[in-house]
Amino acid sequence: MSPVAECLVAFLFGSIVGLLVQRSRFCNTAALRDAIMFKTYRNTKALLVAMMILSVGFTGFMTVGAGHPMSFDVGLNTFAGLFLFGIGMVLAGACTVSTWVKAGEGNIGAAWALLFTFVGMFLFSLVWSWNYWPPAPASMTGEPNLEALQLGFANARTLQDKLGIPAVVFGLIQSAVLFAIYRAILRRERAQQAQHEMHQKEAAETPVEAAKAQAA
Amino acid sequence: MEFFRKTLDPVIALAAIAVLDIFLFLIVGAWTVGGGETMMTGLIAQFFLGDELQRIPFWQLVFPPHADYWKIYISLGMFFGAFVGAVLSKEFYWRMPRRASEWLLITIGGLLMGIGIRLAFVCNVSTFFGMGSEMNLGGYLAISGILAGAWVGSLIYKKILEG
Repeated sequence: MSPVAECLVAFLFGSIVGLLVQRSRFCNTAALRDAIMFKTYRNTKALLVAMMILSVGFTGFMTVGAGHPMSFDVGLNTFAGLFLFGIGMVLAGACTVSTWVKAGEGNIGAAWALLFTFVGMFLFSLVWSWNYWPPAPASMTGEPNLEALQLGFANARTLQDKLGIPAVVFGLIQSAVLFAIYRAILRRERAQQAQHEMHQKEAAETPVEAAKAQAA
Repeated sequence: MEFFRKTLDPVIALAAIAVLDIFLFLIVGAWTVGGGETMMTGLIAQFFLGDELQRIPFWQLVFPPHADYWKIYISLGMFFGAFVGAVLSKEFYWRMPRRASEWLLITIGGLLMGIGIRLAFVCNVSTFFGMGSEMNLGGYLAISGILAGAWVGSLIYKKILEG
């Protein structure tokens, strides 16, 4: 596929994603932050469902060698980078997707976050040019590189090649685990709902005491 | 149209995005944002610095700026799609953070996101909608990292909220 066609496909995909995210108010930051801070799971459930579908879909095609999985070495930098990112996204109140989507809705704060994401990337490029860590993809070998604190490369397909078990089997197991988390969230939501209804019922039965409690 | 009047269930939206992401994975690669943003940073830097940019090895060895890098257009598409959605549902209006503290938090948050993406070579989208679902070892490292980061971020945020 020519680079121009690739760019067109990417733009079409992005446009549909932008529209769906705008209409659904999905936010990856909220999916994590709300579950941690407020014990609400509206976005967390959507994230889990997407990952269930993707795990089976990606590993299914990887079993037959189709698709373009990411391939570069990972290690301490992967953990540390996303750790910084996690703090940043909660402070900014937006992640990479919602900065673009909110900016498209006219949110100047989101555009500002985006601008400083670019600034952060440029600052990092200066630091990288001084210490060359983490290694550039061109110099990665796929094997553990302890000096650079990297573990190498592994995914469902490398597991298939090593163990002889189709990649999709691992994908199905991952989806099952994600589904178990999803069901646990549903149970928790039902318990929260039941508790909420009980409180309301109690308040309705004893309005005076409830008013007192509220005043206190 | 009903679609532009009611809020869409995020589970339905994300299920649809996941199916489209599988097609994208087959054609060019899974949904990602950080790579495109890095390339945009390079292109913007090149616009302002010109040949001076050659003096920073990162932009030669890791991300030589190219405008025909497909990942850029996912981001531009998201901006365009969201703009169209917001206009058609009459939700487009200029919003501005009011307090100086909000501007400060957004600035720090944006910087940390940019630095984090480049340090890890992945963003939050690749973490969940690419690597994690490809069962890449990096996906698990990244998910652990972002969960720990979101937790620490929430603690800081709570502290700030409580004054």
